[in-house]
Amino acid sequence: MRAKNIAWKAFIHLFMLIIVAFCLFPVIWMMIISFKTVGESISGFSALTVQQPTWANYERLVELIPLWQNLYNSLFTTIIGTITTLFFCALAGFAFAKYKFPGRTALFYFVIGTMMISTEIGAIPLFIIMRKINLINSLWSLILPRIATAVGIFYMRQYILGVPDEIIEAARIDGCKDFGIFTRIILPIIKPALASWASLTIIARWNDFFWPLLFLRKTSKYTLMVSVSMLPVSDGLSTPWQVVLAGTTLVVVPSILIYLALQTLQKSGIMAGAVKG
Amino acid sequence: MKRIVSILLALVLFASLGAALAESKPVHPEGTIRIYCTGQPQFLQMYYEKWLQDHPDVAPGVTIEMVQIESMAAGRQKISMDYLAGATSDLPDGIYLDAVGIIDLAAADLLVDVTEYYAGIEGEFIGGAAGDATIEGKVFGLPEAVRPQLLFYNAAVFEKYGVDPALMSTFDGYLEAGRLLKEKSNGEVYLSYVSPTNHTWRYWGRRGLMPQANARIWDENGKAIIGSDEGTKLALGFLDTLMSEDLLYKTTMMQPPLYEATDEGKIATFYIGAFWDEFIRANLVKTSGQWRVMNAPMFESVSQNGAPVANYLCLVNNGENKYAELIKTMWYDFQTDVVSRNAWVTNMEEIKGAYSNPIALNVLADSFWQAPSEFYGGQSFRQAEGEGLNNASPNMPVTEKDAEADSIISAEIEKYVAGEQTMEQAIQNMDKELNIRIK
Amino acid sequence: MLKALKKHRYPYLFISPYILLFLFFQLIPVIWTVQISFNEWDGLRTMKPAGLDNYGLMLQDYMFLDAIRNTLYYWVLSAAGVLLLAIAIASFLNSDNLRAKTFFRTTTFLPYVCASVAMGLIFSMLFEENSGLINEIIVKAGGNRVPWLTSSSTARIPVVILHVWRLTPWYTMIVLSGLLNIPEEYYEAAHIDGASGAQQFSNITLPLLGNILFFCFVTITVDSWKLFNESYVLSGPGSSNTSLFQLMYQTGFTTFKLGYASAIGVVLILILLSISIVQFAIRRRQGEL
Repeated sequence: MRAKNIAWKAFIHLFMLIIVAFCLFPVIWMMIISFKTVGESISGFSALTVQQPTWANYERLVELIPLWQNLYNSLFTTIIGTITTLFFCALAGFAFAKYKFPGRTALFYFVIGTMMISTEIGAIPLFIIMRKINLINSLWSLILPRIATAVGIFYMRQYILGVPDEIIEAARIDGCKDFGIFTRIILPIIKPALASWASLTIIARWNDFFWPLLFLRKTSKYTLMVSVSMLPVSDGLSTPWQVVLAGTTLVVVPSILIYLALQTLQKSGIMAGAVKG
Repeated sequence: MKRIVSILLALVLFASLGAALAESKPVHPEGTIRIYCTGQPQFLQMYYEKWLQDHPDVAPGVTIEMVQIESMAAGRQKISMDYLAGATSDLPDGIYLDAVGIIDLAAADLLVDVTEYYAGIEGEFIGGAAGDATIEGKVFGLPEAVRPQLLFYNAAVFEKYGVDPALMSTFDGYLEAGRLLKEKSNGEVYLSYVSPTNHTWRYWGRRGLMPQANARIWDENGKAIIGSDEGTKLALGFLDTLMSEDLLYKTTMMQPPLYEATDEGKIATFYIGAFWDEFIRANLVKTSGQWRVMNAPMFESVSQNGAPVANYLCLVNNGENKYAELIKTMWYDFQTDVVSRNAWVTNMEEIKGAYSNPIALNVLADSFWQAPSEFYGGQSFRQAEGEGLNNASPNMPVTEKDAEADSIISAEIEKYVAGEQTMEQAIQNMDKELNIRIK
Repeated sequence: MLKALKKHRYPYLFISPYILLFLFFQLIPVIWTVQISFNEWDGLRTMKPAGLDNYGLMLQDYMFLDAIRNTLYYWVLSAAGVLLLAIAIASFLNSDNLRAKTFFRTTTFLPYVCASVAMGLIFSMLFEENSGLINEIIVKAGGNRVPWLTSSSTARIPVVILHVWRLTPWYTMIVLSGLLNIPEEYYEAAHIDGASGAQQFSNITLPLLGNILFFCFVTITVDSWKLFNESYVLSGPGSSNTSLFQLMYQTGFTTFKLGYASAIGVVLILILLSISIVQFAIRRRQGEL
C-alpha cells in the first residue's frame, strides 16, 4: 500500500511537471529569441541558446511602432473596461440573486442564452452603429459594448446567491436604500469575486484583438496588441522574427505579471468560490 | 540711369514679392493629412514630415499621419466601412493602392480623378507609369513606384559549383542551372523556394510566370478561361517542372527558416519582384555581398522580361479633399526632387528602412541611382532595377473580380504544392470554381 | 403591469444596462446581418436582392463544406481534449498528494493569460516543417518530419493543439472550483465503506461535477465554433483548416461578398442555437435543470 502510494505521488508530480513544462515552454522560447541578434539561427534546438544577448530588437520596436502611445491606449481600455464591467455585472447579478420579480427566471435564461450569439457575426452593422454614435477611433468603442456581459452577470449572480439574506434585511431595516445596499453591503462582501473577475477581464481586454482592429483607424489610437500583430502580417514587411517576438514579449509578459500580482493579492486563488454547481 | 536701375530694382522686388505671395497663396487649412499605407509607412512619413518642416510657409499647421494597414484589402475594407456608415469625413485623404484596389474604389466613385494634373507632368516619368491606374482613359492614382520582376542569385553558390549565371537568361536555361546545381551539390542546393501559402500564386504566378507567358484568366467577355489557356499551361507547367524535379525548397515565404536556409547557401536564386531587395537586406547576414541581380529569365516563345508591379498614391474622394493640392505638391517633390529624395534614401539605407527606385527620369539620371551596393558585391542594385523595366511583359488585365479570383486560384495552387493534386487537376479546378462563383 | 414595474423598479433598473447593450450591440446587428444575407452586396455599390442565392451557393461551395467539417473537428477534439485535461489537472491540483500547490496552480494557468494572436505566431514557428523545434525533436527521436502546416491532412492538428493549450487552464480552474465545493465528508464516508480511489472518482466526483462539466461543455462549444485567431495565424494549404468564422471574415473582408459572408454568419448562429437547444433539452430530460 505504501509503495503504491509513493508511486502514485511520483506519478502525479511527474505528470504535473510535464504539464508545467508545456505551459511555460512556448513563452520562454519566445523570450529567448527576442534577445538574439538578427542573423543568429532561430531554428530547431539552436533557438534555445543565445550567443550575444541584445536589446537591439526592443530598440528597433520603439522605432517601428509608437510604443508608449499604444501602451497608454491598452492600459486605458483595460483599466476603464474592467472597472465598468465589474460594476454593471455585479449590479445585474445582484438583481438576479436577491430580488424576486416577475420574469426573473425567464430573463435569467435569456441572459444565459445570449451567450450563444456571437457579437462578431454582426461586425458590419455594428460598425455602422458605432459610427452613428461617433465612437469610431475612440477607445470607448472597445469599452462600451462590454460594460455588462452575460458571463459576468452569471458569475456574479452565482457568487451573490451565497450572501445571506439576513445581512440585506438588516441593512434595509437600518434604512439603507436598494442602491445603497449594493454599494455599501454587497460590493464589500463580494470582493473576492470582484478580484477574480477583475483578473479575467483585465486579461481579456488586454488581449482583445478583433474589435480594436475594426474600430480603430489611427496609428495613434491602436492598442499595443494591434500594433504588434501588424509587425508580421502586413504586406510588404520585412520585420525579422527577433523583432516580432520582442513585440509579442511586450504583449505577453505584462499580462503574466499582472496575473501573478493579482494572484498573490488574493491568496485564495483566482477562481475561489466561483461557479457553484 | 540711376532711375532706371531703381525702377528695375523695384520691379524685381515687386516681382519676387508677387512670387512669394503666389507661392504662399494656396493656404491649406490646419489639420492632419491622413494616408493609408501598407508596409512600414513610418519611413515615408519621415520624408513628408521633413518636407512640411522645410516648407513652413506652404502649409503651416498641417501635419501628416501615415496609417499602417495590414494589406490593401484592409484599406479597401476600412474605406468601404466608412463609406457605408455615411462617414465621408472619416475617409482618409489618400491611400496607396494597386490595380485591383483602384478599379474597385474608382468604380464606386471614391477616388479623385487626376487625369488633367497627370497629363501635364506625364513626360517627366518613365513610360506607362500610370498604366495600372488608368481606367477608360482616366487616371485615378499618382504613380509611386513601378518595380520589375527580377532574378536574384547567390553568385558564390554559382561559382562554387561552376555554373554560369548567364545561363539563366531564359527559363530553359534557368531549369538547366537548377539541374546542374542540384547534381553538383549532391542535392544540397535548391534552385529556389516554393511556399505552401498564397505567396506561391502571388509571386510565381500572378506577378511572375503568368504575365511573362501572356497567360490569361478571363476572356474579353469576362468569362473564366484559365482551364483552356495556352499561356497558363506554359506558365504553371514550368512551375510544375521545377517542382517535379525537386528543384524548389519547400518552406514558408518570408519566415526565418527560409532566410536561414538561404544564408546557408541552400537556395541559389529568387525569381521575384524588386521589393525582395529590402527583405534580404534586412534578414540575410552571412551571404551579404554574395548576391547579384539580373533580369528575369524569358520564355523563348514569348521573349519578354518580367512584368512590373506598380502602386499608386490615390486621392480619396472624401467630400472636398481639402489637401488634394498639397498632397500632389508633396508627391511631386518626393518623385522629382533629386536632393531630398536621395537624402531620404541614404537615410533609409542607414536605418535599414524601405525605399523603392524613383520613377522620375531626372532622378533616375542622377549618378546616385547607379551607385554600387555593398550587399550586391559592388553591383548597383538600383541600376539593375531600372534595367529590369526594359521590354517588360504587360501585366495581366485586372478586373473587379480579381481579388476573389486570386483566393480561388491560390487555394488550388496550395493544394498542388501540398502534393494533393496534379497541376492539370489544379488548373481544371480553378476553371470550374471560377465559373461557379463568379458570374 | 405598470404597477409591477414600479414596485420592482430596482431589479429592472439594475438589469437594464445589460438589456440595452444587448439590443444595440448584439440583437440589432444580428438582425441586420440576416437582412444583408438575402442580398448581393460589395459594400460600395447598392445592394441587389438575391433571394436565397447566397444560401444556395453554400451547397456548391467546397470551401464552405470544408469549413463546416474543420469546425466540427475543432469542436469535438477541443471539447474532448480540454475536458479530459482539465479534469485530470484539476483533480491532481486538488489532491492531498501534491506538494507546492500554489506553484502548480499559478504556472498551469499561464497559457490562458497569453494572447492567442501572439501564441499563434509562436506555434507557427514551432510547427514549421523544415526547422521547427517539434520536427527537430521528432527527427532526433528517429521519426520523419511531419508536414504539419503544409499538408491538408495534418494542418488541423496544430490549430487544435494551440486551442487546447490556451483554453485548458481556464476550464481547469472552473473544474477545480467545483471540486473544492464537494464536501469532504462524502469522501470520508466512501472511504469507510472501502471504496477505492477510482470508485470514489466515478461515483462521487463526476456526478457532483455534472452541472459544472455541462457549463464547461456549453462554453467550449461556443468557443470552438467562434474559433478564428488560431486557424488564421496557423493557416494550411487552401481551405484545409479554415474555420467557419474565418471563412466568414475572409469572404466579407478580403473578397467583399458581404451578402454571402452574412449568410455564413446566419448559419453559424443557427448552428450554435440548435446545439445549445439540444444540450439544454438533454439536460432537462435528465432532470438536472
